[in-house]
Order: sequence, then structure tokens, then C-alpha cells
Amino acid sequence: MIRQDVEILLVEDNLDDVELTLHALRQERLANHIDVARDGEEALDFLFCRGPYAHRSFEQAPRVVLLDLKLSKVDGMDVLREIKKDPRTRAIPVVILTASREESDVANGYHLGANGYVQKPVDFDSFRNLVKQLGLYWLVVNEPPPPAAFQVK
Amino acid sequence: MSTDTTERHLADEAARRTGAYTRSLIEASLDPLITIAPDGKITDVNNATEKVTGLSRQQLIGTDFLDYFTDPGKARAGYEQVFREGLVQDYELEIRHRDGHVTPVLYNAAVYRDEAGDVIGVSAAARDISERKRAEEVIRKLNEELAQRARRHAAELEATNKELEAFTYSVSHDLRGPLRHIDGFSKLLLEEYSADLPEDARRYLSRIRDGTRRMGMMVDDLLNLTRVGRKELSMQLTGLSSLLEEAIRDLQPEMATREIEWRIGKLPFVECDPALVKQVFANLLSNALKFTRTRERAVIEVGETTQDGRAVIFVRDNGVGFSMKYVDKLFGVFQRLHRPEDFEGTGIGLATVQRIVHKHGGRVWAEGELNKGATFYLTLEAVESRPGESNSLPRGAA
Repeated sequence: MIRQDVEILLVEDNLDDVELTLHALRQERLANHIDVARDGEEALDFLFCRGPYAHRSFEQAPRVVLLDLKLSKVDGMDVLREIKKDPRTRAIPVVILTASREESDVANGYHLGANGYVQKPVDFDSFRNLVKQLGLYWLVVNEPPPPAAFQVK
Repeated sequence: MSTDTTERHLADEAARRTGAYTRSLIEASLDPLITIAPDGKITDVNNATEKVTGLSRQQLIGTDFLDYFTDPGKARAGYEQVFREGLVQDYELEIRHRDGHVTPVLYNAAVYRDEAGDVIGVSAAARDISERKRAEEVIRKLNEELAQRARRHAAELEATNKELEAFTYSVSHDLRGPLRHIDGFSKLLLEEYSADLPEDARRYLSRIRDGTRRMGMMVDDLLNLTRVGRKELSMQLTGLSSLLEEAIRDLQPEMATREIEWRIGKLPFVECDPALVKQVFANLLSNALKFTRTRERAVIEVGETTQDGRAVIFVRDNGVGFSMKYVDKLFGVFQRLHRPEDFEGTGIGLATVQRIVHKHGGRVWAEGELNKGATFYLTLEAVESRPGESNSLPRGAA
């Protein structure tokens, strides 16, 4: 099996959120390798192995993408749409992790093929607990998609 | 002269006088009068008819009466109705003048008969209602203008409300991020550097966290309030008893270790948005639980009663109550009648209840007495409760 060097891709434009999320994940020793994309464009470059990430290959897909919706350049929903549209990336689990609980956002997210939708709580203890559960589920409990899932038919 | 001739002569003279007298009355009438033969041909007219049509009686007599109306079909129907029923009253038609202008009239018409009782024609009188029509048109236009203005105001008001809701939403929404960061980093500081911090510093930090937590709750409640405001009602016939049961079930964590006596009465089935009305119960019951906390045994009563002939739902508790002096403040956003250290809360719960009830076209009000308890009443008006259905539907099915 190909070793997936990146376990979590965190797509988040707010540095405070990045730090708190990383802190929570590291504290639980859940992820050895987390990559952070600071905007939608960077996230797409990373996942589609282009631009500064041209050296990466599609086989190195992350186990899960934690995707914020409010992003600069390319909006979170558009990132999700691109990922789920392309057979080379479609199988990557994407969990929306956002401040919004707007019904339209939740509906849109699922409509575009999101694998989960989680609202960031204000309370840090709840937030940390939630990040821990996410990590536990996607990195330990969940069976990741095999390479065949990424092959273009 | 023989007596016979003289008598006949006198009778003729009398008939001639009666005829002249009748004719003068007919001609003096301001209302256009006509008589029509069974075949629809005009047999007689008066001055007023000449005036309203712009034609002389020579031109009119012998022609088809239908020719002088804007709607011959309706004129014929009226004519046929006279024959069928013997008369018509206030039958609306429009007479066309030779120059083209039109006079709206109301017709009264009746058949007239010969000595044998056979119908020999129809006599009809028209009343010019131009003035009334003009007045009606003015009123109609004014009403239309008023309605238009009202519609415009309503639309403006709705737009302003929507803008306000959108503003409140985005502000509350954007406030959550920084709040989470303050809470997160103060928590990390407390956890990772606790040993290096003096007692006071730790206390200050925990105050900061209490503050952010409180603000977090307020922001969440505000968001919920605006969400309720923006949500379209999705109405369905709902058993309030089952909604109440669900709301009570959700409150179990708040009820642990408490002694609570529930007195649940029979509740009706109503047409409402179940998710929102469940929230009404949740907020009212949560308040009832909160404000009975100081009671050894809380008594919470929910039921239906009648006030002024109207079905009213009530939620009553034996808690700390409130002074009726402040009853006006009860449903305002951020209004609280208790000290935060006595009873926690954001002051948005009852505002949300009111918003939901108003959205349903209903009313909510409260009665209270300090240290005795509080009762909240509500109606879901738009939505008439249907006692018949509450009886016909099995309660267990709710």
C-alpha cells in the first residue's frame, strides 16, 4: 500500500483557527502529517498536483480534507465542487468545517458531495473535542479509499 | 244628436283627455322610456329617449331596440328575462348616443298585456347613473392608490426587516470566530502555563473564559432569533402533545436530580410549523425549569384553556415569578428580570418565542407574581385549533 504522507489537508484562511486546530490534533497525537492550505486556490493546487505542488502525485491524496467555507480567492464551495467533479479526486473524503450553520450552506455542501458538515463551536473545549473525534474517525476508524478508487475509468 | 252619439262623443273626449294627460307625463319624465313589441321593435319612446340616443322618435320607432346598446347580447338577455319573469329591476346597460358617447343606465322593465291578458309588449324605463358611476370610479381609483401605497410600504418594510436580519446574522456570525480564538488561547494559556501563573492571573483568565462563553451563547441565540425571522413557515397539522413530549425529552439533562411534578393537560392538533412550535415549548419549559430551581418541588403545568371564547395554550410554573410592573420588558431582546448570578440566560429566549408565535399570526402574553410563579399564554391564531380533529385522531398516533 502506498504510504499517504499527508493525512489531513486543513483548508483554512484564519491563522488563529489554523493554530487552534493544529494544537488540538497534535495534542491528541492523531495526525503525524497535516498540511495547511491558506486559500481555495492553494487547496486546489495541492490536490490537483499543480503549480507549487506539481511534484506531488494523485496517489498521495490526503486521508481527509477539512474545508472551511469562507476562503479568499476560490470559495470553499467551489473547492468542493472541483474536487467532487474530477474522478481523480472525487474519492477524497471532504468534511466541511465552518462557522456557518446556514441551512443553505449545509444543503449546498451535501449537494456537491461533501462527506460531512461540522460547525465550529465557540467554546474551545467543545471545539477540541470535536477535532479529536474527527481525527479519530477519519484516520483510525474509517477505511480510506484504495488506489483503485482514484483511477479514471 | 241622439243620446248614443252624445255618449260616445263624451267617452271619446274623456279617452282623448286621459291619453293627452298620460302622454304629457311620459314626455315630462327625465328617464328615457320606451315600449317594445314582442319582436323587439321599438313601438314608442319619449323625449328623454330622443335625447339619450340623439335620434328623433321617427327614427327610433320601428327599429330594433338592441341597436342602441353597447352590449346587445346583454340587452337581449334582459329583454328575454322580462318575458320569462314578467319584469326586471335595476338591470345595468349602456345606451350609445348617435355621436358615440355612452350613458350608463339602470333599467326597470315590465310586460304589458291586452284585455285578454296576452303580452303585447314591454315597457321599460332607464335611469341615468353616470354620476354614480363616476363617483364609484373615483372611489375605486382612490382605493387602488391606497392599496398600492400600502403594498409599497409593506414591501419597503419587509426589505428593511430583511436587511436588518441579514445584518444581525452576519454580525453574529462573524463574531463567533474571534470569540472562539479568545476562548481557545485563554484556555491554552491556562492549561499550559498554569504553574507559572499567580492565583489572580488564573482567576482573571477564567473570568475571560466565562465572558466569552456568555457572549458565545448570546451570539448563538441571536443567530437563532434571526434564523426564525427569516425562515419560511412549513405548516402541517401537528399534535401539540407530541411536540411537548419531545421538548420535555430534550430537557432531560436539565431535569436530573430535580423533583418535578408535571401536570400535562390535553392539547389540540393545530396547523403550524412543528419545528418552530417545538422551540416555543422548549424555551418556555426551559424557563419554567430554570425559575423553579429554588423550589424543593417544581410544579410545571401545561394545558389548554379558554379565554374570551378562544382556545389558549398555557405553561405555568411555581417558580420565582416576576413583578407585573416589568411585564412589558419580558419579551424584549436582551431584557432580563433577574440578576445573572441568580439565573443565567441571554435574554433572547422569550423574544424568540414571541417571534415564532407572531409568525404564526398568534399572540403570547404572561402573568406573574413575585415568588409565586409565572404563566405564559399563547394562541396560534392563523391556525385555528381544531378540537374536532384532536378527538378523532388517536392520541397515541401523535
